[in-house]
Amino acid sequence: MLALVVDDSRAMRSILTRLLSGLDFDVAQAGDGAEAMAVLDAGTRPDVILVDWNMPVMDGLTFIKAVRAREDLRDISLMMVTTESEQGQIVRALAAGAHEYVIKPFTDEVIAEKLALLGLGDV
Amino acid sequence: MSSIDELEDARQDLESLLLDVLNSTLGEEAFTTDESLPAGPLATSRLSIHDEAQDTYLGIEIRVGAVLARLLASKMMAAGDPSPDDLLDAVGELGNIVGGNVKTLLYHTARLSLPMADLNSRTGPGDPDDPSTTLRVAASVFGQTAQVVLTPGAPVDGLYWPPSQEDEALEKQP
Repeated sequence: MLALVVDDSRAMRSILTRLLSGLDFDVAQAGDGAEAMAVLDAGTRPDVILVDWNMPVMDGLTFIKAVRAREDLRDISLMMVTTESEQGQIVRALAAGAHEYVIKPFTDEVIAEKLALLGLGDV
Repeated sequence: MSSIDELEDARQDLESLLLDVLNSTLGEEAFTTDESLPAGPLATSRLSIHDEAQDTYLGIEIRVGAVLARLLASKMMAAGDPSPDDLLDAVGELGNIVGGNVKTLLYHTARLSLPMADLNSRTGPGDPDDPSTTLRVAASVFGQTAQVVLTPGAPVDGLYWPPSQEDEALEKQP
């Protein structure tokens, strides 16, 4: 299985990459939504994308809308991983097409549970 | 949420928030402390929250000493010898996590800036934070102090703001 981690923080990308590798994922990384779109445009097709909300260049919500607008990317699961935890923001992300929503700081178990809910691994 | 009195009412929640973030990020139990920051340069992460309803700003600064900055970067990046860029990134992300949770704790509708990290910050000798204009909470982890300082009306120069709902609404207008 392949995951794409999209976060402007290298530290957060590192944390998620180690976590996902431990769950038997191969992991690609991008530093913002635009970089992630370039990865997808180059033909990479991850099973799941974990995306931060607040990023420069292209934020996570805009990225999710862009992915959802493309027929060829419709099979990819999207998980927002962010400090944005207002109810209204969560609703916006889910309405835009995010399948799961995780609030930072998170535990490894929460990420594993959310992936399992997406049919990507066991809890 | 723009006055020190209002922030003071939320002090216990802010202290709990800082402990939770440090516990989760470092995997080590943190404790509330009155200890000062160590001498020498500080690593800081500066952000701001814009209350769009009231059009007010709340400055947030997370401060740690060099030792805790290195521990933080080592833990987050799984790097035995983190580079200055690693330290900047790790402290910046710590600020982002603290800032996002402060925003949720204190505001209904607000925007959080991206963090601006600095490795050579020093607030000055003694106790430079005026309690009449700032609220400071601190925690100890690995025997090192981390501070969060909230300053209503703090300058927002140099900070980057992600797009807001209003920006999106404007984009949709013909």
